[in-house]
Amino acid sequence: MEKSIETIWKEGFLESDALVAPKLNDLYNQKSKHIIDKFKRMFRINLNALFIGSFVILIASGVVGIPVMGIGYFFILNAILLVNRKLMKGLFKIDKNVNSYQYLKSFDNWMKEQLAVNRKLARYYYPLFFLFMVLGFWFSQDIQETFKGILERPNQIYLINNIPVLWTIPVVIITGLLAYFGDRIYNFDVSLIYGQVFRKLDELIADIEELRA
Amino acid sequence: MSNDFYTSSILPYAAIIIKICRAYTNTQEDFEDYYQEVCLQIWRSNENFRGQSEWSTWIYRLSLNVCLTLLKKNSKHHVTSDQLPDVAAEDNRTFDDESLNHLYTAIKQLSEIDRAVVLLYLEEKSYQEIAEIIGTNPNNIGVRVKRIKERLKKILDGKVN
Repeated sequence: MEKSIETIWKEGFLESDALVAPKLNDLYNQKSKHIIDKFKRMFRINLNALFIGSFVILIASGVVGIPVMGIGYFFILNAILLVNRKLMKGLFKIDKNVNSYQYLKSFDNWMKEQLAVNRKLARYYYPLFFLFMVLGFWFSQDIQETFKGILERPNQIYLINNIPVLWTIPVVIITGLLAYFGDRIYNFDVSLIYGQVFRKLDELIADIEELRA
Repeated sequence: MSNDFYTSSILPYAAIIIKICRAYTNTQEDFEDYYQEVCLQIWRSNENFRGQSEWSTWIYRLSLNVCLTLLKKNSKHHVTSDQLPDVAAEDNRTFDDESLNHLYTAIKQLSEIDRAVVLLYLEEKSYQEIAEIIGTNPNNIGVRVKRIKERLKKILDGKVN
């Protein structure tokens, strides 16, 4: 009796050698390239976003009347950009013509180096972001008018050289905290954006090291 | 991809990948490339798996997507996925089972999407699952399967080239 296609399919695959999985060649090389290329793309996009963002903030802050903040942010963002552009050159110098393990290790070393640099920077730029935000609002016309109104009322505020000293205390505390926790905030920030890539990188390195052991 | 991931999450389903890759390739070299690419894609998209379907269904879907994408990429001619394939290059690979060889030869004469449908049907996927995997209306699947089976029968009987 003629067999149905369903029977042919079922019986055919009962043969033990019909479903032997082929050996995976060069898989680690492909995966290494994939991870690093993905990171490069994301890194480049982020740097471009910083550049565009710095101009957007500069213009927007002028429009809404807090130009001091916009100018401050513009310089901070472009300083970050400058440092990271320099770091990125190192990324493109990584030799691709080595085995996947060496390629990944070089990338990992570069990554650690750039994270360390950015972590140090973060301890300065997070407080600066906050300070420029405060200064931006402080020098805005609305706040200045409100402040003048407060000053006209007697015994409302304690001033030294026209600076409301008590108001500066929370600003100093927050700035100090941002400086102290800047590196941790940066770590959190980075893990949000690149966390998945880092996990895959660690996994892949561990995997290759296990195979090499 | 950790070794563990390959061993625990891909290897048990290797049969699925093998059957699909085999249906979309003509040489052992292409087959191995497709198989590898599917494994790589499963590893890459592992984190996108939300558990809304069976893991095996996920593998079917990814395997078919990868094979269809690679097929398009490798094709010199621009063909839509539902067109009949170009005259297939000769496939010298053989299974021990002669009937299975004939069946695969017949399947490879189907259009790319019909191949996907019949592979899923032969893997005993329900019409609903087939529709989900290939992204179509389940109502059409029954009719399509019937038509494909008739065509396969004709090919196997030597009535169709």
